[in-house]
Amino acid sequence: MKVAFYCIVISLFLIQSINAQVLVKGVISDETGIPLPGASIVEKGTVNGVSSDFDGNYMIEVPKGSTLEFSFIGYGKQTFLVGESTTFNVTLYPDNELEEVVVVAFGKQTKETIVGSVAVISSESINKQSATTITQAIQGSIPGINIINPGGIPGTNPTIRIRGIGSINAEASPLIIVDGAPFNGNLNSIAQEQVASISVLKDASSTSLYGSRGANGVIIISTKSGTKSTETSISLSSSYGSSSIATPMHRLLDINRYTEYFWEGYRNRELYENNNSPELAATLASDNLVSSLGYNPYGVDQPVNKEGKLVASPMWNTDWKKTIINENAYKVQHGISVSGGAEKTSFYFGSNYLREEGQVKTTYFERVATRLKVDTQVRELIETGLNISYTSSKQNSPNQSGSAFSNSIQWIYSLPSYYPIYRRNNNGELITQNGKDFILDYGGNNLQTVNGVRPAFSGENAYGAIINNQILNRNNYISLNGYLKFKLLENLNFNSQFAYENATVDNFRFDNNEFGAAATVDGRVSQSRNFFTTKNAIQTISFEKNLGAHSIKTDAIFETYEFEENLMSAQGTGFLPNINVLSGSTSPESVGGSINKERLLSIIGRINYSFNRKFILEGSFRRDGSSKFSRETRWGSFFSVGGSWVLSNESFIKNVDWINNLKLKASYGELGNNRGVGFFPYLQVFETGFSQLNKPGILSLEFVDPNLSWEKTALTNIGVEFSFFENRINGSVEYYNKESIDLIYDQPLALSTGNEVVKTNVGAVKNSGLEFSFDTNVLKQDSFELNLGLNFSFDKNEITELTQDEFIDGNKKWQVGKSLFEFFMPKSAGVDFRDGYQMWFKDIVTDQGVRTGEQIKTKEYSEATRYYTGKSSIPSFVGGFSINSSFKNFDLSALFNFSFGSYIYDSVYASLMNGFERAGRQGHPDLEKRWQNPGDLTDVPLFLNGQNDFNSESTRFLFKNDYIRLRGLNIGYNLSENLIDKLNLEKFRIFFQGDNIFTYQSHRGIDPEQALSGLTDNRSHQMKTYSLGINLQL
Amino acid sequence: MKKSLIKFYLFIVIILLSCDKDYLEEPKPTGTINSDAVFKSKESAEALISGILRLSRISYEKTDSAGLYSIFFARVVKGNDLILGNGWYLFDYENDNREPTYRRTTFTWEFPFTIINQINIFIDGVNNSEYLLDSEKQPLLGQAFALRAFYYFQLAMEFQHTFSFDPSLPAPPIYKEPANEGKAMSSLTELYNFILEDLNYAVQFTPETRINKSYVNRSVAFAISARVHQVMGNWQEAASMANNAKQGFEFNASEFKEGFDDMSNSEWIWAMPQQLDQSNYFDIAPHSFTDINSDGYGLAYWNRDFVALFSDTDVRNTFTNQFEGEEETRYNTWASTKFKFAFTSDIPIIRSVEMHLIEAEAKARLGDETEAANLLFELQKNRDVNAIPSGNIGELLIDEILIERRKELYGEMGVEWYDAKRLRLGISRTGNHRIKSAANLEPDDKKFFLKIPQKEIDANYLIDNSVNIDR
Repeated sequence: MKVAFYCIVISLFLIQSINAQVLVKGVISDETGIPLPGASIVEKGTVNGVSSDFDGNYMIEVPKGSTLEFSFIGYGKQTFLVGESTTFNVTLYPDNELEEVVVVAFGKQTKETIVGSVAVISSESINKQSATTITQAIQGSIPGINIINPGGIPGTNPTIRIRGIGSINAEASPLIIVDGAPFNGNLNSIAQEQVASISVLKDASSTSLYGSRGANGVIIISTKSGTKSTETSISLSSSYGSSSIATPMHRLLDINRYTEYFWEGYRNRELYENNNSPELAATLASDNLVSSLGYNPYGVDQPVNKEGKLVASPMWNTDWKKTIINENAYKVQHGISVSGGAEKTSFYFGSNYLREEGQVKTTYFERVATRLKVDTQVRELIETGLNISYTSSKQNSPNQSGSAFSNSIQWIYSLPSYYPIYRRNNNGELITQNGKDFILDYGGNNLQTVNGVRPAFSGENAYGAIINNQILNRNNYISLNGYLKFKLLENLNFNSQFAYENATVDNFRFDNNEFGAAATVDGRVSQSRNFFTTKNAIQTISFEKNLGAHSIKTDAIFETYEFEENLMSAQGTGFLPNINVLSGSTSPESVGGSINKERLLSIIGRINYSFNRKFILEGSFRRDGSSKFSRETRWGSFFSVGGSWVLSNESFIKNVDWINNLKLKASYGELGNNRGVGFFPYLQVFETGFSQLNKPGILSLEFVDPNLSWEKTALTNIGVEFSFFENRINGSVEYYNKESIDLIYDQPLALSTGNEVVKTNVGAVKNSGLEFSFDTNVLKQDSFELNLGLNFSFDKNEITELTQDEFIDGNKKWQVGKSLFEFFMPKSAGVDFRDGYQMWFKDIVTDQGVRTGEQIKTKEYSEATRYYTGKSSIPSFVGGFSINSSFKNFDLSALFNFSFGSYIYDSVYASLMNGFERAGRQGHPDLEKRWQNPGDLTDVPLFLNGQNDFNSESTRFLFKNDYIRLRGLNIGYNLSENLIDKLNLEKFRIFFQGDNIFTYQSHRGIDPEQALSGLTDNRSHQMKTYSLGINLQL
Repeated sequence: MKKSLIKFYLFIVIILLSCDKDYLEEPKPTGTINSDAVFKSKESAEALISGILRLSRISYEKTDSAGLYSIFFARVVKGNDLILGNGWYLFDYENDNREPTYRRTTFTWEFPFTIINQINIFIDGVNNSEYLLDSEKQPLLGQAFALRAFYYFQLAMEFQHTFSFDPSLPAPPIYKEPANEGKAMSSLTELYNFILEDLNYAVQFTPETRINKSYVNRSVAFAISARVHQVMGNWQEAASMANNAKQGFEFNASEFKEGFDDMSNSEWIWAMPQQLDQSNYFDIAPHSFTDINSDGYGLAYWNRDFVALFSDTDVRNTFTNQFEGEEETRYNTWASTKFKFAFTSDIPIIRSVEMHLIEAEAKARLGDETEAANLLFELQKNRDVNAIPSGNIGELLIDEILIERRKELYGEMGVEWYDAKRLRLGISRTGNHRIKSAANLEPDDKKFFLKIPQKEIDANYLIDNSVNIDR
């Protein structure tokens, strides 16, 4: 890979052309056609230059192939490549008019004409951080967005919620559009350096054109293109990094403390639960310690004496964390891009290679992403273009979340150091195979005592699972996105766009034939190979007209969309050593496959009217038909209206020096959501695949609601945008209110009905918030520049309607007026100092069933009352701040993101605090504070080896989860121009990149980014990475 | 210019027309079948029965809550005969696993109700089918009623005292048809009446023939009835149902040598089969837990007092001493080879020997002690060539039958717990148990049944927290 890269580089170096001098001439005028006298025309990179005369005429002799730069004070610069044509009539636009053009729904708009809420992240800010999955770059950059990167597997997609959470069981994440077409591939297939901008559409007026899919916001990713008539530019980048875990994991007990503590747990049971005398209880504990734990690392019959003290030293003290965690993960990235354009054609080519290792050993993500984009003016009135991208990626990801035995993080938190990695004989010596290799211990050696049967997780060894098994995900992603644009009349354009996208996802899993869960059947291979195909066609007629002060722009759009999944899987067992392909299987275990399709048919209209660039009005309408719902409920209409008033274009403000831009805006619209509900959620069907021996079997799927339909969301947005003091302070403040009704919800049913849930439209939820975004240019001097940015939002979630009084779902109870995310659970009442038992609060209820408002403490968990805790799993305050600075040839940028006000229920910590309820489970050093004698004041109950509820769900394990993270720190040095010239380069930059290198967190032991529900799940942590790299431009 | 304009308009119109209304109609589900099709023929309706039987062994939730066998094995470990090492089913072994939020409680409630819902959908569909003939409906309904009675019987046993303790006590809600709203608790009387109603139909209309031993035929319906009547103390009915059930299922003790893993053995009346592509892997009980010589969990050993009940020549004596020559104090001294673990092992649900012993017990209780003793000795002789009749009468005879049940059925359906519960006896731990008296069960101990799951209470508006008061 690397070799190929540098071959390309070298060959590009060698391309040289010697060009003859040509005479270029033309007229320079302003946007109204008035000639500009005294404008400067310079051959770029030289001192060769002239000025335009009184009539705007100029004439200059330059070599063919050179670049001309046109400039005039107060107007934006323009450059042209000198090709065949020798006449350039150039129109220059005033600086503030040539302002940012923003990618919006079905097109582009200048920032000024936008009435909705659209935030943009440019490629410069994207490149100041590592975003293996491109949407990670949004974190901390835009207000009103909550992003969670769960776990430490590189290439994992973040959870994104725009403006609160408006859906519960339907898809609540935003719609992703890439270059105009809905994206169904894996977001990790897009290389960050190939992205030109990310637009985040937050309000109704900006998303309503996506109708039934726009309710939860839209993210539009635009990839880079070339520019016509520019010199070809080649840029190369390479970086190498080293990663380690970004935040520390929970601390753990060592073998000796574990053994003594376990003895105490056993003794306590015999003493307090079984009411034996202290002497007998201690004797029983010493007698039964080894048989309870199944192993004997101490080699003596009673490693712990009757006083609870160890009398022997262990033959091993396993550090599972060190065994499993990759403390020096490697990261490498190389990229090349070539872009440029002739008079009628422009192109961009980019190719990028990335390999990144994760927190757990053998975890990695590897990707090659290539993209080619060509746009060309075929004839005067016809333009066409094609954007091709191909990505191939590979990810090895041993289980590192969830409750499977082989989840290596759960393993670290579950297995005490008491259990060895490798097998031992009855003398505690390591056993070898063929006299050299150690044999991994799977914890199921019935006939031994030193190395016997583990009481938990027998038959597995997570380290063995990492090195002997494979979970390999291979993705191939290809997309073809082309358009044909006709200019029908002066003001009338027709554009036909067709996008085809195909993702092939191959999930391969091999369970070793000699060790672990599948050893009994000589290994197992399960493989699925699924195709996901999207076809999207968009026909647009647009009309644009300026009549004096009035300007009008309309679009009529017709869209069809089809998504098809074609799934196939197979599983087989019985493999010879070193064979792990399906055809090596001796007994097939299962096969599966199905094809499902979804379609959407839409008619869309938009009209944008602007008066004197002061008042802007925009209205949109979309009618969608979706194959996901029944014929009666499938059609829906969605709309939005919005307007803005550009105060800074009013005469009474135009003269105020310090105000450069001031705009008020408001919008309202109603949208829908049909995503994340499956293909035919309204059909009551029977599912195949439940065969009984050779007879086909079917089962009825859960109850469905045949009238299920879209969720509907009404969004209101009010905002102000401003720029003051020569654009040194820019910013915006926005308020939103988003009310979602007819939520698609898995309503819990009584278990006795035989159905857990029914998917139906119930209730309404309201999200509202305030968003702030500021950007200030603190200092701008020749050699020193400093920019500071800050954005944050306050978001609130409230249930506004339910069809019944309340629902209880896990540790949340939903009631009107409450948040969807407020924890509802028993309140811990501490530990009884008399007997060391955990207590909870319980309401006093009279015989008539009336709550008196008083509370008492109870030791019966089942009697404990569950209360609203006033604590929510979603943050009340999230945002980010950035620093951008340059000093001479150095530049520095830092991006922090933060989240405050959320709570986390740390079930991992809870399980570590189990107090030896079960044998063979790891503990946390905090256990040393446990109750030991009557009168002890502590919040850690006594150890008790027997079923108890001490660590059952309660506020005891509910923690505040605030954090601030330095997501990206980038320090670069640009080689001075003299040197660059000598080397025949355009740019040479060497940089240091640090990702996640600093994290402040209020609750330690976990990664602060967990899940919206606020539950930990034995997840691996994100990595902090230190990289060094170079950027070259030729 | 004009011409080209017209062409483009035509082009757009064509695109618009090409996507007519059928565009949204074309996508249709694959891999699923709609309700009409299922009840169109006997064969397709039978596919739902097959699915329901498969559901009884589907690895439902976790290793200790995976299928019907998990309910049975949780009963087994509560007794005195089996000693469980530290691992799955631990808290059942400690007789301390009945709180509303515990997995055992939720599973033992949810799992039978899930199956009952499928059965109700089946009954509803068959009853309302315009395509099936009445002569086709009856055999189908017979199987369904037998299954529904069987699962309600498990709920009755698990969520209240035994019937004879107090029939007026609250019992799980009764659903006669599919419902999406929770019903109120019933009473034990109502529930047992409902079970008997279903069984009365089942023993009349369930066909004799069946696809294989995992399906319900009339013998299975008789066998379920025999168990229900045995628990209710209806000895006349218990005797005749048991006698009907065992017909055609001859004694064959070879299974004790072969590992209790093959439903073709002539004693097996009803079973859960497995094959490699339909395996419950390590979850199956008792095989995975009692077979210490395989890759299963191999956690379970046997009480030395229980092992001492077997003569050397008894084929059911499958026990081997792991620490030959040492004092039998270790809990893991005696291992059994009764059940052989493999991913393809079949699991017994009901065997004819149990029916034989129900008949013997019923006869004894009805006063026909001669017949009872004959039946008992018939089995003893088959199991042990050196067996001699005990000559016991009265309570001693009944006790001998109960011991014979333990010696025959150990590991299978929780016979100790089942007998101790229905006869309102306790269970005392003896011998080399790991957890001794702390796990004892008093007669009519509340630990013989579970509390009502919190998840049910949270979602059922007719059952509130008071249901667990004093439970």
